[in-house]
Amino acid sequence: MENSPPLVELIDVSKRFGRFIAVDNANFSLAKGSVLTILGPSGCGKTTLLRMIAGFESPTSGEIRINGEPVQAVPPYRRSIGMVFQNLALFPHMTAGENVTYPLKMRRFPPQDIPELVERYLGIVRLTGMKDRRIHELSGGQQQRVAIARALSFNPDLLLLDEPLSALDKKLREEMQLEFRRIQQKIGVTTINVTHDQREALVMSDEIIVMADGAIQQSADPVSLYRHPSNMFVASFIGLTSLVKGTVVQTEGTTVEFNVDSTILCGNAGSRFEVGQSVEGAIRAEQVRIHPEQTRPEEMDNVLEGVVSEQIFEGDRMVYQVQCPSLGSTPIFVFDHDPTHHVLHRKGDSVVLSWNVRDLLVYPCR
Amino acid sequence: MTGTRSKSFVLWAIVWFDLILLSLPTIIIIGASFTTGDIVQFPPEGFSLKWYGKLWLLDDFKAAFFRTLYVSLICTAVSIPAGTLAAIGLARYRIHFQTSLQVYLLLPFTIPLVVSGLGMMIFFGDIRILGQLWPVGISLCIINLPFMIWAVSASVNGLDYQLENAAANCGAPPLQGFLTVTLPGVMPGVITGALLMFILAFNEFLVSLFLTDARTVTLPVSIYNSIRSVITPDLAAVSVVYIVIAFIAVLLLDKLVGLELFLKSK
Ligand SMILES: Nc1ncnc2c1ncn2[C@@H]1O[C@H](COP(=O)(O)OP(=O)(O)OP(=O)(O)O)[C@@H](O)[C@H]1O
Ligand SMILES: [Mg+2]
Repeated sequence: MENSPPLVELIDVSKRFGRFIAVDNANFSLAKGSVLTILGPSGCGKTTLLRMIAGFESPTSGEIRINGEPVQAVPPYRRSIGMVFQNLALFPHMTAGENVTYPLKMRRFPPQDIPELVERYLGIVRLTGMKDRRIHELSGGQQQRVAIARALSFNPDLLLLDEPLSALDKKLREEMQLEFRRIQQKIGVTTINVTHDQREALVMSDEIIVMADGAIQQSADPVSLYRHPSNMFVASFIGLTSLVKGTVVQTEGTTVEFNVDSTILCGNAGSRFEVGQSVEGAIRAEQVRIHPEQTRPEEMDNVLEGVVSEQIFEGDRMVYQVQCPSLGSTPIFVFDHDPTHHVLHRKGDSVVLSWNVRDLLVYPCR
Repeated sequence: MTGTRSKSFVLWAIVWFDLILLSLPTIIIIGASFTTGDIVQFPPEGFSLKWYGKLWLLDDFKAAFFRTLYVSLICTAVSIPAGTLAAIGLARYRIHFQTSLQVYLLLPFTIPLVVSGLGMMIFFGDIRILGQLWPVGISLCIINLPFMIWAVSASVNGLDYQLENAAANCGAPPLQGFLTVTLPGVMPGVITGALLMFILAFNEFLVSLFLTDARTVTLPVSIYNSIRSVITPDLAAVSVVYIVIAFIAVLLLDKLVGLELFLKSK
């Protein structure tokens, strides 16, 4: 038996507005039933990409296929795609129930089935009983759920979410992320989710695409994306990462030694480097150990002395910003995940930092 | 403390002064219409409804009133589709010569009414429809259309343009999306504009003066004509009828565009 084609496939898709390239040669495919998150800074082309898939915008070049068929000539209202817009775009003159009913009517579902479907989807997003509320009588989180119900009610092949959570406060957003994960698992709809919140991306997705300036930087599952960022941009965009610039002095297998200011660091190289090449090293805050001045950490490959310049308490963790004289002015960030049981380092304290070679990722300079 | 108090006193004094100044003509006219005497005077001499009774017997005024109503309804009926589509088109679609078109649509507004009136009179005369009533309605629609366009534009601009995409995404073809989402969204503007058009047409004098004759005279023109002969309190009574109609329109507006509250979700 042949493999079924991916549900969505983008082949060399580009979008230009005048001379400005909003999406630059995007390629990816998405299997049925999975959740893909597009992650990237503001203005990198995420919404444009979604709008092309939904059919509101057509690619300048390249091809989009849905279920293996090119959709160039298919207008948005003939595509089986539910979308939750960045600003929700609920119909303000309708009630919550009418909003959910609307796509069912427009897509000519049998009238006798509609009330039941509306009840069912309002139930799935936990809004039973809110059917007759007007949109402005609902809270932000409830409106968001109406938008999800509206996008799901007609059982689309594909669900597009354009940062629908960005307007919510942190707590509600995190609740909605889990809520959405629950709904998605229950219904199993293929989903493309857009966000610039890395946490949301890691929580919600089977696969993540990182974009910058219209181009896809990396596409991987959350764990490998976090562990093996393929370039400097991805490494610095995800997690709290410290960056150090230097020049290669020696390479040996995957280990590369490079000179930073007045010291030499050992890192893990993703590609081959020449001696003398400019490189950047990235180390995540949770992979750096912090010790009081007297201790000499054992079995650590990079050991540096420094002074705490900032100390930020985040409840479940302490974030230290440490200045190491041997690295020049570049600060190193450190997480301490158990601040109640560890020695606290105050601003101005001398400390020792250390980390393993394999955790310091080295990339060619951009 | 006393500072803010005297400030608010001054403010209130100004507000009241303005209110009285603005409503004085209305008050005087309303008062004068209830007089028992035979001349327009304020304060009125006694109190009676005799001029209102008489009004009903004045066939000229009555006929003129119904003609005005007819003209205003034509004006409103034409302006609703014309103004709504123009406003939505101008706001939503990238149209060629957009600014020129905008200027063109506002043109009736910048040309003195005397000029418009004269122009229309000549034009209607040429195409031999001068002397009929319906062209008056069309003319009033033309000269006042910018008001309609402005009223609807305000609603269109307040409407999330994404809603049309949302409708398409829900499976609505463009026309259906327009009817079910865009149009209800701009309804407050349409209602406001329509009532405005009605009132403006109902009160219009100058252009109607050019376009009507003895058989088609509208109420404002008819009042003007009778002022030139003799001023009797029945004129005051007619004016009060006017004021009442304007008042009803404002009430309607408030009641209908109270809808706007429902249409605002954010
Ligand atoms: N219609 C348009 N005309 C011209 N430029 C546009 C248009 N739409 C988008 N752009 C540009 O394309 C780029 C990508 O826009 P897009 O909306 O896709 O960004 P985004 O990744 O969704 O950003 P955000 O996270 O802020 O929503 C932006 O620089 C934007 O200015
Ligand atoms: Mg966006």
